[in-house]
Amino acid sequence: MMADIGKKNDNVAQWTARSVGSRFQHNFFYFIIKHGGRQTAYCFLSFIVLFYVLFKPSICRKADYYLFRRFERRCLAQRLADNYRLCLNLGKALIDRAVIGILGEEKLTIEFRDKEKLFDLLKEGRGLILMTSHVGCWQAAMSALRFLQTPVHLLLLREEGDIDRHYFEHAGIESPYRIIDPTGYLGGVLEMMQVLRAGEILCVMGDRFLSGRKGSLAIDFLGGKALFPISSFKIASATRAPIVVLYSHKSGPYNYALDIYDIIRVPSDVGKHDQDFLPYVQKFALTLESYTTAYPYQFFNFYNMWIEDLQIVEKKRGILNEHQGKPEENSY
Amino acid sequence: MNIKESLKKILIEELNLEDLTPEEIEDDAPLFGEGLGLDSLDAVELVVLLEKHFGVMVKNLDEGRAAFQSINTLVSFIEERVVQS
Repeated sequence: MMADIGKKNDNVAQWTARSVGSRFQHNFFYFIIKHGGRQTAYCFLSFIVLFYVLFKPSICRKADYYLFRRFERRCLAQRLADNYRLCLNLGKALIDRAVIGILGEEKLTIEFRDKEKLFDLLKEGRGLILMTSHVGCWQAAMSALRFLQTPVHLLLLREEGDIDRHYFEHAGIESPYRIIDPTGYLGGVLEMMQVLRAGEILCVMGDRFLSGRKGSLAIDFLGGKALFPISSFKIASATRAPIVVLYSHKSGPYNYALDIYDIIRVPSDVGKHDQDFLPYVQKFALTLESYTTAYPYQFFNFYNMWIEDLQIVEKKRGILNEHQGKPEENSY
Repeated sequence: MNIKESLKKILIEELNLEDLTPEEIEDDAPLFGEGLGLDSLDAVELVVLLEKHFGVMVKNLDEGRAAFQSINTLVSFIEERVVQS
């Protein structure tokens, strides 16, 4: 299962926290939401996304890393339709996030059936690692955690050029969570351990690593080897805090649902090598695969997580199809 | 064996530094980045091994930042906590 981590890999694109749109475009949408409501904003969004999908190939390319693996062979029309649907859903998630801050939390219903499970896990007194991904609307999920009445800390990178506002910034209220900077001293690991030892909640994104391949493992994900970070799993092992895999999805025009996909416990004696953590990271990747099966157009990790080049995958598929006698006209 | 010697041996064993000997680890060299070349994931191990082998806890970022400079600062940190307890 494990790929060679030591080799230099240039296929893995570095992601950036920079926003796609300009400050003006963001402010335009905030204005529309405030004065025209959510549906008007959705309406403008549909045209803008269409423009981006048709005339901004760089956006399509970023979405293709995922779409190509999720849907395999598709014709150009299907590919454009998939891109449109995915980008539209991302735009809607961003609008919904702004709606919470601008129009109020009551404008969005967030259903969470597993509240008791979280309470029970917190009672263990080892803190809680909430591991989510770039799916659904994670900020909506965060806004729904207030019932726990426990401080929430979020590992979050904010770069210059990231002009998206968080919902609390729209509302002009104090941040409901404390942000830990992953570019801070020792990647913030001391702060993360401190949080868990205090029995508090640490929220991390399990599907994105910061730079290079150090601190990540190549894991089976959607038919290829993708890189996933391991630091949270090491911290879970050191503190014995349970990892709760929590994803949100848009379940209706004004609704999101939160679901616990798995509870991962990493033993304290798991081992000293990165590879020892592989089964636990793979467990997480399986939850993400299961999410993408259920909600294929709500996975918003727009960068190349995979270590295998798309052209190589395409070539392999071509050879496979030749062997199976399948037609080539749907070539990507 | 004094704290410094045992600390160096434990670091080699627990942080997979088998290609080094205790003598090769300089007392004043930085632990992270240049010097010993540890990274943030090693910091997690370091916190755990300090508790496991010396019974001392790194309670917060400030303590960690001061203690994790070099072998010497780490030894001072351990000695202070051991005396206090």
